[in-house]
Amino acid sequence: MSSSRQDIEAEIYRIFREQFEIEDPGPDEDLREVHGFDSIDAIELLMEIEKLFQVEMDQETKKEALSYIRTINGICDYIEQVLPDADARVSEAVNR
Amino acid sequence: MDRRVVITAASAITPVGNSKQKIVHSLQNGVSGVLPLRRDDLLADYLHCRVFGTVQEPIEYGFERKYRKTMGPVSYYACHVVGQLLEQSGLSREFVSSGRMGVAFGSTHGSPSVQRHIYKALYHQEKGVPGSLGAVDYLKSMVHTTAVNITKMFEITGRVICSSTACTTSSQSIGYGYEMVKYGMQDAMVCGGADEYDTTTVAVFDNLLACSTAYNDRPGQTPRPFDADRDGLVVAEGAGAVLLEEYEAARKRGAPILGEVIGFSCNNNGGDLIFPNLDGITRTIQLGLESAGIGPEAMDFISAHATGTKMGDVIEARAIEQVYGNSPMVTGLKGYTGHTMASCGVIETIMTLYMMEKGFVAPTLHLENIDSRCTGIGHVTQLTEKEVNVASVQNFAFGGVNTSLVLKAPAL
Repeated sequence: MSSSRQDIEAEIYRIFREQFEIEDPGPDEDLREVHGFDSIDAIELLMEIEKLFQVEMDQETKKEALSYIRTINGICDYIEQVLPDADARVSEAVNR
Repeated sequence: MDRRVVITAASAITPVGNSKQKIVHSLQNGVSGVLPLRRDDLLADYLHCRVFGTVQEPIEYGFERKYRKTMGPVSYYACHVVGQLLEQSGLSREFVSSGRMGVAFGSTHGSPSVQRHIYKALYHQEKGVPGSLGAVDYLKSMVHTTAVNITKMFEITGRVICSSTACTTSSQSIGYGYEMVKYGMQDAMVCGGADEYDTTTVAVFDNLLACSTAYNDRPGQTPRPFDADRDGLVVAEGAGAVLLEEYEAARKRGAPILGEVIGFSCNNNGGDLIFPNLDGITRTIQLGLESAGIGPEAMDFISAHATGTKMGDVIEARAIEQVYGNSPMVTGLKGYTGHTMASCGVIETIMTLYMMEKGFVAPTLHLENIDSRCTGIGHVTQLTEKEVNVASVQNFAFGGVNTSLVLKAPAL
């Protein structure tokens, strides 16, 4: 795993811990089934991602994102896919 | 199908205590729940009124995040009282989720503190700041937020009624809940109301010159219902819930019966949205008696709306006199709590049930010198031992909405 992927993952885990009170979910655990992470949480997560990466996603991107928000790995995959400069943004966020 | 409707559980959060023991103690010992208005970053410094009926007992909620995430402070209050209510009731989870039990619950605004956050976000100077408006802010602040957070937390699947008529919110909740059970639409209803600590409500009444301002340095001396030296209402926070059940079912399962709802009326003055109306209020009281099928001579005790405003108390006293004369005992319970807004009807109902159970009537706090325009009715000025068999809870709201609930002691 690349260091930038690790950084993204670490930040997502931090958000889950701090914002959603979900401690260390497995990377491929079904967040809804195992942790009751529902559609409202998914929308809140997108807002947290926007804040973290200092971006504003359009409505279509967000709608598409909802289908990826099933597992931690899925979330990280999606971030890497829609934010090509995610690694730079995440290191910026970590150093903020 | 007309069925008897009984109250089998009650729970409250009030400025004079949350438990039955504490509330009864406050009523028997003249304890006021009014404190200096808290400072805030919005309005408190600009208001003439500097007092507020304040909940003082700490509450441990322990709600999981899956519930908390859609709750503003008002829903914390609402879910807390309903949690206690259902625990007290001993009703099975199966029944609670059967669709035969509904919820009638409301608040004045939803959650004003969350609304304040929303407005801040909307009018923020830096437009486009991502995430400033939360996905759940609407769910926390919407007008039916208390009712549906209750249904979610306790998995209640029956009807939902959410009255939001300011000071008659929870008396309507009880009244409409009563009608649901009486006419067989539901077998049980969780009924009540809640309002959180909020300075915007103080500002509303302050602007209308309706708030008490002369006792800012002596908060515990105001409001003063029916007293010659009253100078307005005191906004307060609180919550309350009662469980209404069909009598036969309650009896069969051995539920303790705290009282029976035997009548309810609600009407509108059909005119001014602010000023109290003698004809409208008199008619509400008469309709309440008709609904209960009793005459005015049967009434033992009236919990008056009596907010402590100059005009409101006079009109209510005149209406009571017209219908009842000076026979029933009359107390303005807001002397203790201040005006708990959406929750006043249910809190005053619960206090009345407690007094029925304990065999006493509390005096109107601070009623030292009865206003000459408020005489002719049975004011209670000292703690009185009394078996109350039939009581009425009167509430009136902005918008010209009036309600009267008629209650009967369980022994009858």
